[in-house]
Amino acid sequence: MGEKQKPKEKLTLKNDIYYYKEHTWVKVEVDQVRVGITDFAQDQLGEIIFIELPDVGDEFNQGDVFGQAESTKTVSALYMPISGKIISVNDELEDNPEIVNNDPYEAGWMIVIEPKDLNELNGLLNKDEYINLLSE
Amino acid sequence: MSNIIFTATGCTRCKIVKSFMNERNIPYVEKDMKSEGKEEFQNFYKANRSYIYRGPDGIEFPIITDGKNIRQGIGASIAYLHSGDKLDGFFSVGTLHKEWVDGIHISLGNPEYTKDFIEVLRYLKGNNLKLQIDTNGNNSHILQKILDEGLADVVIMNVLGPLDLYRQIFRKDFSSHEIEKSIALLPQFPEYRFETTVSPIIRKEGEQAEISYLTPEEVGEAAKLIEKVTGSKKNPYLIRLFRPEKATDERFKSIEPISPNMLFTYRTAARAYQVFTEIEKV
Repeated sequence: MGEKQKPKEKLTLKNDIYYYKEHTWVKVEVDQVRVGITDFAQDQLGEIIFIELPDVGDEFNQGDVFGQAESTKTVSALYMPISGKIISVNDELEDNPEIVNNDPYEAGWMIVIEPKDLNELNGLLNKDEYINLLSE
Repeated sequence: MSNIIFTATGCTRCKIVKSFMNERNIPYVEKDMKSEGKEEFQNFYKANRSYIYRGPDGIEFPIITDGKNIRQGIGASIAYLHSGDKLDGFFSVGTLHKEWVDGIHISLGNPEYTKDFIEVLRYLKGNNLKLQIDTNGNNSHILQKILDEGLADVVIMNVLGPLDLYRQIFRKDFSSHEIEKSIALLPQFPEYRFETTVSPIIRKEGEQAEISYLTPEEVGEAAKLIEKVTGSKKNPYLIRLFRPEKATDERFKSIEPISPNMLFTYRTAARAYQVFTEIEKV
């Protein structure tokens, strides 16, 4: 499709979230966590045309595929950054998947989970570590 | 309902399909998925994801729909606009780019519609496209016609196996004369290649069917057949790996795949009769 990808220095990477090596992020909100994909992931996908998300109540382990994001140029699996049960899904993405392209960390969140073990957060990356991962 | 054509900005193949509709006064509405048709394409995609093919480079455009059927890619789209579903089988969505068109299958269409099939090929060729056509040997008269009219730039013949196993692999009636005739025609094309996929074969039907892969000796026999018919040991010949996950027969989906290293044994067997035998790079 010939879409240009952002140079690494132009990617938006936030300080107040954890990053998973498979390009999903986690934001802790008291006793639940919100999950989405990073700016890098949405940029690699290009214009997203469909997002398949799980149902509330589904349970996954860290590293499991919880859904799929589809653009005209590729299909990408979405990986659970930590284990837990789905307690909320961003239904808005069903009709407007491009929200993830426009605002991957806020309006483009994908799921909220009740974590099984918050200690798993210790194995995730901070912003600098994620930048290093992208540079590898 | 008139046709909708979903296009991508700058897609040459989309322009060719639109020209075809313009020339034949076929009404259509264009939706460019990058601009004004973005939302409509998203909705269409959401409703029809399972019917839309994705190649290694993403979704192939154009996609046309008349509200009942969907056709994707230049070959299948023009064939559908030309003849409805009569030419189904002859065309699938290809994976080649730029001026090359593939996904054209001589042996999988209904030979009753040869005239229409050839007309579609002429149209594609007339638009300066290069055609890569494949055959398993069936419908050799169509291959002859394509040769006579110079419609193919590359022809790939999948020699399914030795003739005595053809029926078990093809699972349809076939004539050995047809297969041999196609083999004989192949070296007359500007570029050609024989291929054999190391496929599983149902050796014995029944509740507990006996299934096993073509053996190296059987692939050797296929290579020997090519030598016998063409009178040459120097044909391009490729041995390919079967991918169970892509099998259409459910019984083959759970079969253990052959190790890519095993292909070397097959190559050795085939090189006795076709010295340029190569194996698929995995």
